[in-house]
Amino acid sequence: MFHCDVVDIKNISLDKAQKFIESHKCGASLFFIGTVRDHNNEKEVTGITYDSHDAMVKKSFEEIYNEAIKKLDLQHPVAFVEHAKGYVPLGGISIIIAVACKHRKQVYDFSRFIIEEIKKRTPIWKKEHYKGEDAEWLDGQKVEVKK
Amino acid sequence: MKIKVELFGVCRELSDKDHIDLELDENSKIKDVRDQMIEIVKTKFPENNNYLEMVKKSAFSSKDEIVEDAYKLQNNDAVSIIPPIGGG
Repeated sequence: MFHCDVVDIKNISLDKAQKFIESHKCGASLFFIGTVRDHNNEKEVTGITYDSHDAMVKKSFEEIYNEAIKKLDLQHPVAFVEHAKGYVPLGGISIIIAVACKHRKQVYDFSRFIIEEIKKRTPIWKKEHYKGEDAEWLDGQKVEVKK
Repeated sequence: MKIKVELFGVCRELSDKDHIDLELDENSKIKDVRDQMIEIVKTKFPENNNYLEMVKKSAFSSKDEIVEDAYKLQNNDAVSIIPPIGGG
């Protein structure tokens, strides 16, 4: 069972994630929450604007979920992935990955696989805002073109 | 032929709009889009090597799939420029 979306910060919610992954078949659940921290590259960060190619992001999340099921030995996998879009202030939630499986090892593997793959291939970009109203787009990972 | 290039990430700085309209020769490919985008950056931002490098390093997508430089375009296609990514 899987849910994913790209949402405004005011709609990103742990309650929604928790309700989605609740299952009596699963003995383990795990929540990964990414938040905006106050520093990067020796600069004082006040917030991050996230830009996203929404259709490709959702497609990428689904591909990652399906790959995880194939590669990891998961029983009764459930996953909820939402990423914020737009301006997220200091301390705000940028991403929630909530997973549930039959056993605890599976949820650690599942959650880690999802976030690491998102970092490698999901078309989301960050513009960091610094104290003093300066802002800059962060360098990212070049997207591989399959031939 | 007319091609709409939707802008994302750092490439949003290339225009006040969320896209750039290009006029290309018939039978153009993604490579021609990239070349024209490079010319736009050189003209509009001659001092900004960062933007130039970003366009050179960017991928392009069509119909929500990453496509290679040899991908053939049709009149009125919309493509997206996908600069290096960094979400999460």
